[in-house]
Amino acid sequence: MLADVSFTVGAGEVLGLIGPNGAGKTTVLECLAGLLPINSGTFKYHGDPLSSRRRKEALFYVPDGILPWAQQTVKWLLTFFERLYSQAPEKLAGLAGPLRLDEISRSRVVNLSKGERKRVLLAVGLLTSQPLLLLDEPFDGLDLRQTREVMTLLRNESATGRTLFVSIHQLNDAAKVCDRLVLLNAGKRVAEGTLGELQAQANLKDGGLEEIFLALT
Amino acid sequence: MAGWRKFSLRSPSFLQLLAKEFRELLASRAFWLLLLFVGFLVGHSFITAVGLYAEMSGNGNGPAALPQGLSSLDGILVPTWGAYDLAATLLFPFVAIRMVSSEKESGALKLLLQLPGTLSSKLAAKGLVLLFAWLVSWLPGIAAIVLWHSYGGHTYAPETVNLLLGHLLRGLLSGGLGVAAAGLADGAASAAIVTLAFTVGTWALDFVAAGRGGFVQQLASYTPTAALRSFEQGLLRFSVLAVMLLVSIAAFVLAGIWLNIGRTIKFRLVATLVLAVVTAGAVWIAANVRATRDQSENHRNSFSPVDEAALGGIKQPLKITILLSPEDPRLTDFEQNILRKLRRSLDKLEVEYAASSRTGLFDSEEHYGEIWYELGGQKTVERSTIEEVVLDQIYTLAGVSAPDRSGEEGFPGYPLAAQPKHAAAIFYLFWPLVVIVTWWLLRRL
Repeated sequence: MLADVSFTVGAGEVLGLIGPNGAGKTTVLECLAGLLPINSGTFKYHGDPLSSRRRKEALFYVPDGILPWAQQTVKWLLTFFERLYSQAPEKLAGLAGPLRLDEISRSRVVNLSKGERKRVLLAVGLLTSQPLLLLDEPFDGLDLRQTREVMTLLRNESATGRTLFVSIHQLNDAAKVCDRLVLLNAGKRVAEGTLGELQAQANLKDGGLEEIFLALT
Repeated sequence: MAGWRKFSLRSPSFLQLLAKEFRELLASRAFWLLLLFVGFLVGHSFITAVGLYAEMSGNGNGPAALPQGLSSLDGILVPTWGAYDLAATLLFPFVAIRMVSSEKESGALKLLLQLPGTLSSKLAAKGLVLLFAWLVSWLPGIAAIVLWHSYGGHTYAPETVNLLLGHLLRGLLSGGLGVAAAGLADGAASAAIVTLAFTVGTWALDFVAAGRGGFVQQLASYTPTAALRSFEQGLLRFSVLAVMLLVSIAAFVLAGIWLNIGRTIKFRLVATLVLAVVTAGAVWIAANVRATRDQSENHRNSFSPVDEAALGGIKQPLKITILLSPEDPRLTDFEQNILRKLRRSLDKLEVEYAASSRTGLFDSEEHYGEIWYELGGQKTVERSTIEEVVLDQIYTLAGVSAPDRSGEEGFPGYPLAAQPKHAAAIFYLFWPLVVIVTWWLLRRL
């Protein structure tokens, strides 16, 4: 159950949604994407309310832990999204290197490991064209090297003006990749701001995100 | 919002979705199993039917009169294509269920719902691909018709097309039912239980409603089995066609309501209720469409042209009260030979089933077996279920003279004592081989 969760995000910004397990991070993302019903609340885009039907024109949400069209190959899945969103072939080619897609392109989705599946799902999200991209746990299942590569990829994507809203439970990763953070606990927004602003709210001048999190929750 | 394009059924996005559904169909084991088993079912039905037809045509030194009036619709087409009734009941729903349930269970639905286009267009893509799957499964049935012709067999195009139309609608209904069940249920197993429960329920309704008359019997005439029966008899009832189409479309809409996971349960329940009311209203209107066409070559659903003309002149309502129990074979005769035709010929016909027992075996009622006819304030009773006798009673009540039937030509029949040559090789060997090899080649795509 979520209550009084409100925040803003600007164009080209990477906004992190952090919180403990069960805080409601995925629920927030699925409510925004129109995949879970809400009792009240509005989603405003450029200041105007956007109905759930038109919301998918503004944002795309990549869930965590799904196994989409499991019997199909990775190559087909990515080409499907590339064509559906009329992306230039260079877009997919540009993702293939950092996400190491070439080595798994002939594999069926069902046969992918957790990390491989995550890389494919990230590619799916980055192939869509909506101005706001929601990613649920984008680093879950990735090793250290892959995590750094994906962080760079996400920063590059935001540099194109695309807004990223990512839910992350690894606080160190969140601090590295996000411009601003929304701290969620037990379905409520506890704090919102840059790392500096959160340090000020928690009275921890040089505190890391873990200390801030513990202080505010 | 750059990159967002208008969406229509001819848009590239829809074609992409269609291609995706097509690939999903080819990846579905249920589809390949349908193709595999339907070949065996059609083959067995066809080989048995050809053998029986040959025996009835005099191959087995049977009675000389038997070949007269033999129709390949009853003798070959209906039993052979009966395999598709079984396939539509027990195999095809699982192809439809898989197309929806796999996306629900894997989480792909969450991506699908966000893709360009409305949910209805996505379901339309699924519907079109399911239709394609059903038509591909017809290949053994079509091969059986071609084989029958190669043996020198006869078919009458209008009644054949009518039969195929019935099976097309039967498939649509099964597909819609499967999609709706998958939309409602959490997983494929629950959806399969819902589908089978519905099928068994319609069988029970068929059994209970037989010979009861009234609303229950009318309702039972639209169960999948009963609806298909009229097509198998060479009768095109527009009410049945419209009801089957409406229910199939409603099933897809129901799936759409329950796949829209962003809506509250309350919203979905209300939408389901509204859909039920609207569908019931539309079905009620469609069920009152009286237009029919007798597509059979032997005009089994019509009286002779002279009798049709004479009955057409009777404008007063006719009431028939039948004192025969539902399981009495005389009632079946009366339904098949008289009532079915009278319902088409007379504008105002009321039928009352007045027997109190189900079997009639222990019916001690004095009047059991009587059939009362009431027209223009006059009543008469008759026990016969012979067409000419019944019609003469009606003409007498209406004050119309019975027409002269002496110049009528009977249906010649098409006896054929043929052996089902090559059928076993085609249905039991060649077809399974084609299915398995095609599956093997396509799975590597």
